[in-house]
Amino acid sequence: MSRIRHLIVAGATFFAAACGRAPEVTKGMRVALITPGSVADAAWNAGAYAGLTMIKDSLGLAVSHQEARTPGAQEEALRAYAAQGYDLVFGHGFEFQQPAERVSAEYPKVVFIITSGERVKGNVAPLIFRLEEGTFLAGIVAGGMSKSGKIGFVGGIELPPIRNGYQGWVNGARSMNGKIETRITYLNSFDDAAAGREAALAMIRLGVDMLHHNADEAGKGVFQAAKESPGVFVFGANADQSALAPDRVLGSAVIDLPRAFLAVAREVKAGRFSPKVESFGLEGGVIRYQPNPAFGGSIPAAIKARLITAQDSIVAGTLRPLGAR
Amino acid sequence: MSVLVRLRTPVVASVLGLAILALGLSALGYDAFSALTALARGAIGSWYAFTSATLVRAVPLIVIGLGIAISFRAGGLNIGAEGQFSAGAMAATAVGLVVGRWPGFVAIPVVLIAGTLAGAAWVVVPVVLRLRYRVQEVISTLLLNFVAEALVSFMVQGPLQESKRTYPQSDPIAVAARLPLLPGTRLHLGFALAVLLAGLVGIVFSRTIWGFRLKVVGAAPRAAEVTGRMDVDRTTALALLWSGAFAGLAGALEVAGVTYALFLNLSPGYGFTAIAVALIARLNPIGILFAGLGFGALEAGAAGMQRDAGVPAVAVSVVQATIIVVALLAVARARLARPEAAA
Repeated sequence: MSRIRHLIVAGATFFAAACGRAPEVTKGMRVALITPGSVADAAWNAGAYAGLTMIKDSLGLAVSHQEARTPGAQEEALRAYAAQGYDLVFGHGFEFQQPAERVSAEYPKVVFIITSGERVKGNVAPLIFRLEEGTFLAGIVAGGMSKSGKIGFVGGIELPPIRNGYQGWVNGARSMNGKIETRITYLNSFDDAAAGREAALAMIRLGVDMLHHNADEAGKGVFQAAKESPGVFVFGANADQSALAPDRVLGSAVIDLPRAFLAVAREVKAGRFSPKVESFGLEGGVIRYQPNPAFGGSIPAAIKARLITAQDSIVAGTLRPLGAR
Repeated sequence: MSVLVRLRTPVVASVLGLAILALGLSALGYDAFSALTALARGAIGSWYAFTSATLVRAVPLIVIGLGIAISFRAGGLNIGAEGQFSAGAMAATAVGLVVGRWPGFVAIPVVLIAGTLAGAAWVVVPVVLRLRYRVQEVISTLLLNFVAEALVSFMVQGPLQESKRTYPQSDPIAVAARLPLLPGTRLHLGFALAVLLAGLVGIVFSRTIWGFRLKVVGAAPRAAEVTGRMDVDRTTALALLWSGAFAGLAGALEVAGVTYALFLNLSPGYGFTAIAVALIARLNPIGILFAGLGFGALEAGAAGMQRDAGVPAVAVSVVQATIIVVALLAVARARLARPEAAA
């Protein structure tokens, strides 16, 4: 019997310790990030985590991160941060929009930023990234450099920002070569790197020699496929991915997530934040085309010149990466 | 067997699992004490955490676990609960979208029954394959998980996609079809249902002829056949259908009580964790209730560990897997030591 009593005492002590050390309410501002996938994807989620780290380092704010893959866990995480008194919560993906609106109704003071979100509601505001401006530039290089005249794109799940990125890529390539052939596959997953590799290899067998992706962790398979196939090159997405295959990546369409996150955190910290749709493109450098310096010498001058004029026209608004709307 | 002896295995497994967790965290360079405190706080640190994080996660684990106990008792190895859960979620969403004009006390049962039937229907093919062609259900149910995943993916981009047709998700189900919540929390009525079902299944197992039949068929199918009074195939088939029904109900509860819409990735692997829940509880319904609570607390605590102690998600998954393995080892050891007590 005494053994059971010991257990009960131990359990109660542990419980008391847990309750006693209730969440310390710190004076300073606190920032949280919830990602829908692993921050080791070298892309979408890694960029967000880098942003959070930068907020901690350069603004000196307390930060916290949680990975939440299912809708139930995502809403729970939003609520948990709001209840603990976090001032700014980033929900990193469209899927956080609806739960954030529900939670925001109960915690109106907390600022919820939804990356790729839909709309402003209360203190819930979206960050929109016009990645198509960067993928258009990547498409220019692909269209200009392709020997076979065939390019391919591997997408994670068919979401509006990913569809737009693809459209920009195709339009960019077509602006260099009107007869370019294009292929696209959606994996219905952002995690399955084996599926990403298979999809890319299938395209390569059909003659595709320029690949692009937007599939986070699953996109790593596309780089693997390019590495295995001589003469095939690949373009990174969401982050500078040259390091994933240094002799096969011509460049990356980059979203500078840290810069965008930092800008929002600064506004909230200074009390200047007002909920609005924040849209980022080439103009401020949050979206950019990042060439792989290893290929600096092998890109023809004509293509480089075209990149500069296209960039200027996009910023000036005379060139629309998604075509006439 | 006294209560004390029954409790020994799970308690030993939990303590051992937590000890391994503490060691692992220290080895990875984390402060084990603050990580474990964060775990406890995330799971049971407040009324809100207990009801809204732990209990909400426990509901699908308990309901699916009960179904698994039914099929495993009869020797039917249904490991496709994940797919049956999805089937239930799809059916509940489809029905939940069209019952807006009905009163809640009609709409909710209809939605839950739709999910239950869909879950059972998802097992029909494996049952037929088993009865007619002796295809092992352990393979067919597992493979149907992938079919269900693909079907959800099709549904949220096809027939069940939101009316705006932008994102891969369904419209929210009618308000009338949503389960009532405990005020101030996210805990839905499904928890009461889970407790009720645990009691019911317990009574069926211990007090009814069918419960006895399940046990005999599972433990000694040949003997059951020889008696001439038990149809082994029929009993196992029925048990498999019931386990699918429970998993389908869990899917419906998740849609009607937590997410209110159909998404990709609806389940974080409830269908698989529930197998561990059922096995640790040695297929005992009341045990499943507590094992479900334990695993719910562990997952809720893992989220808290990420938030408050900065332990990355990967470490958390490793820890969960460790605890499952330790617990199963403990159960297996207990079984070897006392074969007569095997469930």
